[in-house]
Amino acid sequence: MERLNTILREPLLQFLLIGLGLFLLHAGIASRGERLRIVVDRARVDGLSSQYEATWGRPPTSDELAALVDGWVREEIAFREGVELGLDRDDPVIRRRVRQKLEVMAEEGDAAAMPTDAALDAWLHAHPADFRRPPAVDFEQVLLANGAPSPAEIAARAAAVRAALERGVAPSTLGERTLLPRDGVGVGLDLVARDFGGPFADRLATAPLGTWEGPVASALGVHLIRVRRRSDAALPLLEEVRVAVARAWESDRRRRALEANDRRLREKYAISIEAEVLQTPPAVVGAVAP
Amino acid sequence: MSLLPQTPFSTRPIARHAVGAATLWFVAMFVASCAKAPAPRTGPVAVAAPPEVAVPATSTAVAATSAEVAAAGAGHPSRVWWGDEHVHTGWSGDAGLSGTTLSPEDAVRFVRGEEVVSNTGQKAKLEQPLDWVAVTDHSDGMGVINEVRRGAPEFMADPTAKRWAEMMQQGGDAARQAAVEAINAQATGKLPAVFMDPMWMDSAWQKTIDVMERYNEPGRFTAFIAYEWTSNALAGDNLHRNVIFRDGAERTRQMLPLTTFGSRDPATLWKWLENYESRTGGQVLAIPHNGNLSNGRMFEEQQYDGTPLTREWAAARARWEPLFEHFQYKGQSETHPTLSPTDEFANFELWDTSNLDGVAKTPGMIRTEYGRRALESGLRLEGTLGVNPFKFGAAGGTDTHTGLSAPIEDNFWGKFPSNEPRPERWNQPFKEDQSGFVRRDWTLAAQGYTGVWAAENTRASLWDAMKRRETYATTGPRITVRFFGGWEFTGEEIAEGDMIDAGYRHGVPMGADLPPGHGKAPSFLVAATRAVAGANLDRVQIVKGWVDAAGGAREKIFDVAWSDGDGRKRVRGKLAPVGDTVDLRTASYANSIGATELVGFFRDPDFDPRERAFWYVRVLEIPTPRWTAFDAVRYGQTMAPEVTMKQQERAITSPIWYTPR
Repeated sequence: MERLNTILREPLLQFLLIGLGLFLLHAGIASRGERLRIVVDRARVDGLSSQYEATWGRPPTSDELAALVDGWVREEIAFREGVELGLDRDDPVIRRRVRQKLEVMAEEGDAAAMPTDAALDAWLHAHPADFRRPPAVDFEQVLLANGAPSPAEIAARAAAVRAALERGVAPSTLGERTLLPRDGVGVGLDLVARDFGGPFADRLATAPLGTWEGPVASALGVHLIRVRRRSDAALPLLEEVRVAVARAWESDRRRRALEANDRRLREKYAISIEAEVLQTPPAVVGAVAP
Repeated sequence: MSLLPQTPFSTRPIARHAVGAATLWFVAMFVASCAKAPAPRTGPVAVAAPPEVAVPATSTAVAATSAEVAAAGAGHPSRVWWGDEHVHTGWSGDAGLSGTTLSPEDAVRFVRGEEVVSNTGQKAKLEQPLDWVAVTDHSDGMGVINEVRRGAPEFMADPTAKRWAEMMQQGGDAARQAAVEAINAQATGKLPAVFMDPMWMDSAWQKTIDVMERYNEPGRFTAFIAYEWTSNALAGDNLHRNVIFRDGAERTRQMLPLTTFGSRDPATLWKWLENYESRTGGQVLAIPHNGNLSNGRMFEEQQYDGTPLTREWAAARARWEPLFEHFQYKGQSETHPTLSPTDEFANFELWDTSNLDGVAKTPGMIRTEYGRRALESGLRLEGTLGVNPFKFGAAGGTDTHTGLSAPIEDNFWGKFPSNEPRPERWNQPFKEDQSGFVRRDWTLAAQGYTGVWAAENTRASLWDAMKRRETYATTGPRITVRFFGGWEFTGEEIAEGDMIDAGYRHGVPMGADLPPGHGKAPSFLVAATRAVAGANLDRVQIVKGWVDAAGGAREKIFDVAWSDGDGRKRVRGKLAPVGDTVDLRTASYANSIGATELVGFFRDPDFDPRERAFWYVRVLEIPTPRWTAFDAVRYGQTMAPEVTMKQQERAITSPIWYTPR
């Protein structure tokens, strides 16, 4: 008895027995046509049901659920058969999806780590250009002419408008009609540039305060301008731009997490590129219709 | 399109031979894996986004012009907000397959004006940022989270995970509670280690929502939560819809996007939209696109399954689809020369050879593919059904699959990574139709922005404007366009300088219905300003569509305002062309022709109060170099003679409708 136990504990024998068992199992499946098992358990049905509910906002009816289960079984069979045939290998869609999942894992790896105020403040001061507020102005403009008329024409119109302004005529009643804003209060020069073009905004940035200046050309015409008030460009305090700074910090964290993951994984592999690789032009994938 | 590569049928005998061996190997591996400890995994995986950093919205509010403030006070919009309602990233299956690596976050950063690295490693930047964007990755194949709900054995070893799994299996409130606990645990770094399994991975949808929440800044930038429902009917008939939510994460997280795996019938999508609204209390709309590639199905006058249209069907379509995408990279769907033979600007960026799969068009299909004709048909259908199913306004979106929304001629990043900037891209085959016709990349059109007249730059304000159709589409240039219709306008409003105020006070803006009239003709105010950094304007037109007594679709185009009003005459009813300053040797043009601003008044001379009608505005720029011309100069390419090298870019507004009492 003891001897039998010893023999049975012999790893080689165990291995052989397992091997025999597998052989018989395989032979049995092959010869008797025994069918592979697909089990649709409660958890699977609940899963299908809850996904339907997540899409449609209500649980499936019993007919719909039966169709979902049938669809799942059909897919499971096709999936198993396909995998067995190796159809999953070298499939670019599957490869990309797997890569996407892995990269999401890498990105989310330490997502719980919220940045401290000190870290955000350091980021803000290390990247001032990303957060600096442009100068803001209170200004008015009178459109002397659309487009670019002759200098003499401009001079004549400017003189007429200046005379009217000196008489106390309201600027909003002078000049050409236009869809452009006639004035602005506390407007950032970036927005002024959007409406009038960059050079016009530059003039507002340097014009003397309180007096009518010009003629000044914008992208759309020629104007007289008056800047009443101007605030300097300023780096905002952290509490004013915390959302934007946190977003930039977080975006950078994700980028670094991805790069670190890539570096770490590459260390596991000895990569030998055995074919010649063309240096130019850049690798391009063939066009795919949408 | 088919996402799967062709099955290598020629290798079938080999594959069969492999089956027996594979079975044995499988079973052996299964036995082995049962004895093995789970492989170590790295890094916890988020089940949901960390909660946002709470900060008062005022800190990011943008300074407004006084005109804006005044207009906001008066309740009507003073500024047009520019955006793209149609952007795909590497998270769309077909984009990823074509080599797109840019993510939704990259796409949003790019339209906000940040520099990003393109899919081919080039630096990409927009000169003028956008105000809003809708990233619309395909819902099909977006990835789901249902595995989470399965009680996998490895979870049961951890008491917390076991409890959550059980709660999830119970469904209902218990399942929701489990999700909340898991989200909180994730946010506070207390997630059990077993959750490092990718089974717990966020779905792509949840992550899309996270990104949009992070970048949405009320008052400054709007990131819509959106997806594309991509029905191709049976084989490449483009019935795609961009689904755009008014809501934030709280509501959109409650439901998964609809795929087309169950049904390709747009009516199924409308049912889903209705479900979404009734379940969450939120609001959502859909924008169909590329009627030009639907092989007659976008505006077919029957239901998807071939049954006749009903009043209910028409009401659902009108309710859920207030806009139609007229301009995008795959051509324009405003009108076709065969539908509008007297429109000398209809022959423009046409993709009219086939559907998406290259199935050739047959005669008659074009009639039910284009926006203008559908607007006309809608009037007729309203007569028979009682509801106008095609009562839509104008939208434009790129449909870029690179994550880079750039419908800009001198900064065009192509539709796929293969047509990102490089010397020979113009001549690369895009697709070979089944007829043998090879479409090349030079036919891609750099077009598709939407201008939205909204009081403020927020999801709610912009979405509401889309819903009421106070929008217009452009091929890219940021032309400002105003359009009002009413019964009382005289034209004096323009001279008095209060056109906008008068427009809203005494009329209706683009996208609206004229109030009931008293028999006299309606009149319209229209104004357009050229893009600040753009080309001058050629002309402003009003396109009128109506149905005659016999039920026929009719249209007429009126030139309302044009540059050089004294010099340009009508010849045989047509206004003389504006001229052409394009120099193809340098890919440049001069604003020595055209006008910076055009303003006009129009009273319909042919108005018949018994006929249903609509009017919309089209604004044309002077001719400018097309993106191909910039490429030719930049890369020293000599392009084939059939390549279009210049164009007249344009804007079209949503219509104003008239319905007889």
